[in-house]
Amino acid sequence: MVDTLRKRSVAYLLLLPGAFWLIVFFVIPLYFMAKLSLDVEIPGTLHYHFTWHWDNYKEALELYKTQFFRSFIYAAIATLLCLVIAYPLAYVIAFKAGRWQNLMLFAVVAPFFTTYLVRTLAWKTILADESPVTEVAHSIGLAPSGHILYTSFAVIAGITYNFLPFMVLPLYASLERIDVRVLEASKDLYASAGSTFWKVTFPLSLPGVVAGTLLTFIPAVGDYVNAEFLGGANNRMIGNVIQSLYLSQSNYSAAAALSFVLMAVIMVVVFIYLRFAGSEALMGQEAV
Amino acid sequence: MRVAMAVAALALAVAVAGCASGIEGPVESNVEKVELEAKPSGELVISNWPLYIDKKTVPDFEKATGVSVAYHEDINSNEEFFNKMQPLLSSGESGGRSIMVLADYMVAKMIKLGFLMELDHSALPEVKANLAKNLRHPPFDPERKFSVPWQSGMTGLIVNKEKANNVHSICDLFNPEYKGKVDFLNEVRETVPLVMKCEGVDPEKATEADWLKAIEKIDQAANDGQISRFTGNDYAQDLTNGNAVAVMGWSGDAVQLQADNPNLEWRMPTEGCMLWSEDMIIPVGAPNPTAAEAFMNFVYKPEVQANIAAYVNYVTPVEGVQEILQKTEPEIAENHLIFPSEEFTENCSPTPTLEGQEEKNVIKAFDEVLNG
Repeated sequence: MVDTLRKRSVAYLLLLPGAFWLIVFFVIPLYFMAKLSLDVEIPGTLHYHFTWHWDNYKEALELYKTQFFRSFIYAAIATLLCLVIAYPLAYVIAFKAGRWQNLMLFAVVAPFFTTYLVRTLAWKTILADESPVTEVAHSIGLAPSGHILYTSFAVIAGITYNFLPFMVLPLYASLERIDVRVLEASKDLYASAGSTFWKVTFPLSLPGVVAGTLLTFIPAVGDYVNAEFLGGANNRMIGNVIQSLYLSQSNYSAAAALSFVLMAVIMVVVFIYLRFAGSEALMGQEAV
Repeated sequence: MRVAMAVAALALAVAVAGCASGIEGPVESNVEKVELEAKPSGELVISNWPLYIDKKTVPDFEKATGVSVAYHEDINSNEEFFNKMQPLLSSGESGGRSIMVLADYMVAKMIKLGFLMELDHSALPEVKANLAKNLRHPPFDPERKFSVPWQSGMTGLIVNKEKANNVHSICDLFNPEYKGKVDFLNEVRETVPLVMKCEGVDPEKATEADWLKAIEKIDQAANDGQISRFTGNDYAQDLTNGNAVAVMGWSGDAVQLQADNPNLEWRMPTEGCMLWSEDMIIPVGAPNPTAAEAFMNFVYKPEVQANIAAYVNYVTPVEGVQEILQKTEPEIAENHLIFPSEEFTENCSPTPTLEGQEEKNVIKAFDEVLNG
């Protein structure tokens, strides 16, 4: 009896730092944000009072639905591109790299050694109108207008580049765990390379696919750095809107309301996705 | 255990609520006035914009007064800086800062909110003697009770002569020949009035409808891809990278840009420019106002201001500087961007003030354009 009690209190103690972190830096700020999102400013004072003002939500959504929609489209395309680029890469690292494996993994992670901002700013120079990249693309007909920078292409390319490692690493982790004997068995049973991949390898790597897409998609929707630096006047995302509501319009209530809507929509999208993909895929088949 | 955790969480919530309560509650109306000590001493924290002072002035001030200065270049945008400071200022604190440099319209707003200390002019004899006549009685602070100008400047065109030599007016920026190669400023009080001038509307007499009409025109151009981007100082990068060939830009920047690329040139739009000033202010709760006023006074000595003017290339608010520079750096003394004549700025307009609901509607409409 005493023993089980002690075990339980140990479990609570272990949870304490995490719970403390979550309460102080998530639950409490969330409460204030929720309150702020229903506040109204006393005109000309920057002071707010609480009135259950649900119109904040309505107005914010009506005004900024374009940017909302755009954020989800950009993030979805970027996630898909990441998957298409990362899967073959992770596959090679897991199965074919041999002694180069560690070096290749290092190469995937290496960009993290410099800051995200600097890397995005570097793209600004690479994609500038008079850069060799743009000129070559223009001359072979890939950039008919002569611009790449400040277009939606540049923003999506930036997001794809910046979030690629978040896709590669979980994919690699799940591919690497696959028992090669299963693949050999498939071959022994006369499956072609193609059907081995689609019937054995890919389903076994699904936890990695689900984890990778979530790790890419969720932060990509709220991203604002890429649209800020690589996007033009018509490529702003919802993160940029929230930032400007807060820092240039001093409209804290609308900013809070938009943040909540964003959070809710992401949760719904992720929930549907997990129902569709099967949450057991996320946990890994072994866990079932 | 569970109870203990709940209690801890509750205590924290109360503590945080206590801190955050500055957001609510009534505005204080009694204005704090600077109380001077006999001699400036101690530490002085200044917030200013990047590249807005020469390298000599601060060390010289430290030597002359014994005050040690922490000079931060942490202001990049009036709105951003204001919104970051606002929670502190509402609770009567300045975050250790004793001087901030902000645009006229922001200073006007902060006076109304009771965020500034009233200056004691007995410690500002140099300001009294040398402040330019046309800056002595601005409408937002008629007796200069709260603000002392730092620098003034002009907003007009910066053009790449090689690629857009025919751009002479704000209207020319809408010419499809330059599609996608034009940047506008993200400052509502400069961009929109300039476009109104192109439309033949005097910004000083503009109605809300005039503002919204000009914003509509800008929106159209942004949607058509005529305007590539809305920028702050970063138009400089677009001009040097060739992403833009003609932009709305600030006079002082052009002098510096020209040094890198002789093809870049600031032009007075045929419609006239926008004139603006930025002011030094002492925020409420500022720790060392005596040293702050000593610094304000110090930079108004013409020989000190001459160094600043020669470095930053904006329009100096201090009289007597041109005479000094004529002897030391005659090419700067002759530059009409730094010492503009009255004929040169004849058609220019002061930055308009927007108030109340009109301000809200205009800023909201412009922000929708910025956010595409």
